Amino acid sequence: MRSENSTIADGPGLADIQQHKKLMTVWSVTFLILFPLLIVLGLLMRANQGEVVKMEYSTFYSLMTLHGLGMAGTLFSIAYAALSYLIATRYVKLSVALGTTVYFLVVAGVVGLAGACLIGKFGAGWYLLYPLPFIGASWPQWSTGLATVSLLVLGAAWLVGSLHVVLALSKKYGGFSRLMGWAYLGRQEPESELPPIALIATVSLIPGILAFLTAAAFLILFLLQLFEPSLSFNALLLKNLLFFFGHTLVNITIYLAVGWVYVLFPEFSGREWKLNRVTVYGWNATFLFILFAYFHHLYMDFAQPLSLQYIGQIASYMSAIPATAVTIFGIIAQVYHAEIRWTATPLAFTLGGMGWVIGGVAAVVDSTIAINKALHNTLWVPAHFHTYMLAGVVLFILGFLYYLASPQESARENTRAGAGFWLFVIGAYGFLAMFYLAGANSIPRRFADYATMGLASSHQIGALLAQIAAAFVVLLLVGILGVFWGLFVRLIARRTPPL
Amino acid sequence: MKTDLFPLLAALTAQKFSGGIFLMAALVVVGLTTYLILTSRTREEKYAAKKRVYGLRARYFIGLSVILLVALVISLRFLPYERYQAKPDQTVTVVAMQWTWKMAAGSSDQTPLEFTGSNEISLPAGKNIRFVVASADVNHNFAIYNSQGVLVAQTQAMPGYRNELAYRFPEKGDYMVICLEYCGGPHTIMTGKIHAL
Repeated sequence: MRSENSTIADGPGLADIQQHKKLMTVWSVTFLILFPLLIVLGLLMRANQGEVVKMEYSTFYSLMTLHGLGMAGTLFSIAYAALSYLIATRYVKLSVALGTTVYFLVVAGVVGLAGACLIGKFGAGWYLLYPLPFIGASWPQWSTGLATVSLLVLGAAWLVGSLHVVLALSKKYGGFSRLMGWAYLGRQEPESELPPIALIATVSLIPGILAFLTAAAFLILFLLQLFEPSLSFNALLLKNLLFFFGHTLVNITIYLAVGWVYVLFPEFSGREWKLNRVTVYGWNATFLFILFAYFHHLYMDFAQPLSLQYIGQIASYMSAIPATAVTIFGIIAQVYHAEIRWTATPLAFTLGGMGWVIGGVAAVVDSTIAINKALHNTLWVPAHFHTYMLAGVVLFILGFLYYLASPQESARENTRAGAGFWLFVIGAYGFLAMFYLAGANSIPRRFADYATMGLASSHQIGALLAQIAAAFVVLLLVGILGVFWGLFVRLIARRTPPL
Repeated sequence: MKTDLFPLLAALTAQKFSGGIFLMAALVVVGLTTYLILTSRTREEKYAAKKRVYGLRARYFIGLSVILLVALVISLRFLPYERYQAKPDQTVTVVAMQWTWKMAAGSSDQTPLEFTGSNEISLPAGKNIRFVVASADVNHNFAIYNSQGVLVAQTQAMPGYRNELAYRFPEKGDYMVICLEYCGGPHTIMTGKIHAL
């Protein structure tokens, strides 16, 4: 696989590759430490909802805020880092200095957010739903300021990093139309091949760049309001800006992860995975759906123009077609009768694809306006995106990390998924099932406890499901710690990830 | 025009209907993945295997497109928005504020802050009620739960806007009003009551 790329004249040099390996190892170790800590926050929340522990409202919501922002940020960052690593070591020269700067800015942003939430008790939720941080907040204004600045730092890091990747790819492959694969849509075969990861990076990172700019605008308005409290902005407009950013960030995280599945799976299946007319049509359609699906977050804002509500449902429905018909069928074509040796990476990728589809079904159901009015802001919503993240993105990440930690082909062939991996998978699905059951029972999301609802049955069901969920979180946490310890030791001991 | 699909499906709530559809689809996906993994040890020449998979894809593409299109056409007829709402028999003004509800019969020209009302109200069952929902401070969500704990109707309460929600209480009894948008620390205590008489 790599021979076709490492011979490219303007591709990465050996010294660069070594530097990128180091950087990727640092990213990976950071992820291995941060991810379990953020799971613990989620565990504490479910334990509180299950009345196993008792915490103040302010504590619960600051943990919820840090869990949400921390997870979304961490998963996007590692997805971005892994994608950049594969591009930088195989296709296009990327700046190590810039990559390192992005890393330190992300760390600074995460530290700032942790300070705002854990010390300042900032608890506006990941979405800082305007004007909540400025009216009736139980936390001090400095923590709103610190959280806002930290998010700006994170956004700036992601913006610069994304721009760099897209511009480097554009320079190498000849501009936007080439990166979007339009050469594949003509009658003739294109003169030179475009690697799928270049198309996927473009389709994901350009909406990402727009989302980061939008977030920056949103956050600057926040800073203005902090300094001048008499200001007032349109709540519906800010909600649109916010959800465009948040939805896009989470959505492209999974697409970036899919990018490396396209690159690495062929090494295990022995079957190439190249672009063709169908994949290009699919990913071009995905580009549009990423931009317009976010309207489904505003279905219950009846004041939103009706046409946007229609667009929200249509874009959400249609996004299922390229995702499954192109990428999932691509995975099936990799696996079907391919005599695969089920080592950890292809197994994690295949199960990750399964989780992506299951989360996708739940998303399509909820993106139906006639159903959303019964599920909006119930635990069905976290059920679906936790499926995407935990049973999709995290498994894709594990597949990548197993790959990274096994430099030699012989080692890769012997890297099996151990008990920890299976404990994680069982724990994850058990935990998710409790969310779905709670959603189907109308249990609200973002509720610190269910005792105050005034509905005895909801209180009982909500608390019971939270308790069972917490038990499954313990399982998945133990499992992932086992997996991570193995990866951690190999990454640190070896320090020579593969190309 | 009817505004709700689910009374048509007898006693099935929208939540249980969603759960059922989802469970069936998820089981199919898990079954297919297991099949793929278990049969992958068989070796088939890659072009033949790929041809078979991609042949299936064409049928899948058409099948999924038809299912989604039909679901779109059906579901987009049952929207909760004003244009789709039945003619109201009674209007109720609702104002959300940290961390209580103000409800009173009739329309109101007062600003949300000036408006006075109670977090408990009696309304007729079997009549089309139009709730005009506003917020005096941050975003909230006006959600109605029946006594079995089923979420039966909701709309956001937003600063600067009035959202109109239509609901017909199918039977007499007590309904809870719950805030479904996080609105600050004591968010969960923000409840109200509707007695359908």
